[in-house]
Amino acid sequence: MGYVAVTGGQEAIEASLQHLTYERIKEGKFIDVESIKATMRGFLDQVMSESSLYSERLAALAMKQSEGNVEEAVFLLRAHRSTLPRLYYSTVTDARDMFVIRRISASFKDIPGGQILGASHDYLHRLLDFSLVEETEQDVLRKKAEFEAIEVPEESSLPLEKLPKVMDYLRKEGLINEFPLNDEEPDDITKESLTFPSSRSERLQILTRGQTGTVTSLGYAGLRGYGSSHPNVGEVRVGYQPIHIALDEEGEEYYIGSIKLTEVESFIPANVSEDGKEVLEFDIGYGACFGQNETKAIAMSILDHALENPEKIPIHDEEFVLLHVDTVESTGFISHLKLPHYVTFQSKLEQIRKIKREGVTNE
Amino acid sequence: MKRALRTKLLIEVGRNEAIQFANEISTKYQVEEIQAPKLGLTMIKMRESAQQSLFYIGEVLVTETKVKIVESFGIGVVMEDDEGLSRALAIVDAAYKENLPETQNWQGEFEKLEQRYQQQLQQLKCSIERTKVNFETMKI
Repeated sequence: MGYVAVTGGQEAIEASLQHLTYERIKEGKFIDVESIKATMRGFLDQVMSESSLYSERLAALAMKQSEGNVEEAVFLLRAHRSTLPRLYYSTVTDARDMFVIRRISASFKDIPGGQILGASHDYLHRLLDFSLVEETEQDVLRKKAEFEAIEVPEESSLPLEKLPKVMDYLRKEGLINEFPLNDEEPDDITKESLTFPSSRSERLQILTRGQTGTVTSLGYAGLRGYGSSHPNVGEVRVGYQPIHIALDEEGEEYYIGSIKLTEVESFIPANVSEDGKEVLEFDIGYGACFGQNETKAIAMSILDHALENPEKIPIHDEEFVLLHVDTVESTGFISHLKLPHYVTFQSKLEQIRKIKREGVTNE
Repeated sequence: MKRALRTKLLIEVGRNEAIQFANEISTKYQVEEIQAPKLGLTMIKMRESAQQSLFYIGEVLVTETKVKIVESFGIGVVMEDDEGLSRALAIVDAAYKENLPETQNWQGEFEKLEQRYQQQLQQLKCSIERTKVNFETMKI
């Protein structure tokens, strides 16, 4: 009985898609992809991070096509990604080489290079700015010129392209465990399905492309008592990360561009055993993602630490966290419930009717 | 000049120069297009600072072109969908590999690009420096 509607369904679907297109254009207004790219920084950063594909232009196109629907935009980009060949792997990218445009620490006031606020919504009163309703292109150009005319120092000695890490402070004092460089090739969840127990590289790859809201909520749950990783944010850095590939056997590097990146190190107190004694040290929780997504990166650092220390608490459980944070998997599964389940539902309905009938008969 | 610095300067501040160099070579030599500009991905391998291990943070869209000049192959790879720059980078790359005499004349242009790049960074630094917190002047 569910299958009878298929022919009629095709026509209805076509009409539905026409309506969908009409919804996007019915006001007779238009926004071009370049305008989205130039003005919707936060949206693009979130979508690029969740889709695990860095391209501002494609993210802007996805926003236009999806009418600003994040889950749909991420789905579009993941699907598009699957049509493209992977041509290269980058050489090892280290955020120590980032050109920093914002760097703050919640753990130390005085840090090498200083607290650099950069551009952030953190210091705004969250009041709607109604002057933007009438903002024109001329207004934008005037404001741009005003900003560019602000007097700035003639020279800067800030080493923004090689800013030291805040955690190096604690490493020098022996308050953080030292780890040697580990060049083991990472696992890749886009090539092989996740199995448990997972590797560290798999966990980080899943968390970095996790749904922003879910990663944030789970990190928050961890702080509220559903976990035992309580961090101090050691450093949040945002900046432009140069990307290189190695083209030939000699491994000579080739620069292909830079991406905007957020990286977080959280300090989390931990008891460790040293010479038979329990001593307090700091563990590092690590978070990093495409774009300027600071809340997500901080939450990721909480989850990273939680999963490094498994316990029978939800956010310390790798299966619970890793199988549920992905945008496409979670929204896909939930939204599939909208699709026709006529046969399965009819079967359940028939079972219940039968039980009811038999129940009545038995009485 | 190292290949990484050359491509960095052309990509960051020298798009016009890259296309100009490529045109110069194309008018004097036969440039065989081994592979027309095509879109693809580069997976970014990241070093995490907590345990110093590696993981994949995600992929970036790139355009790749391959050309051959005389006996040398050149490659042009650049982020995003940018056929023109990718092709120009490939031709410049092949010109350097073939050690064409024209590349000697570009040295001065690259020095100018380097200056332009440093100037751009310095401007950005000076602007960002204004957002550095000076705790000594804060009023409590």
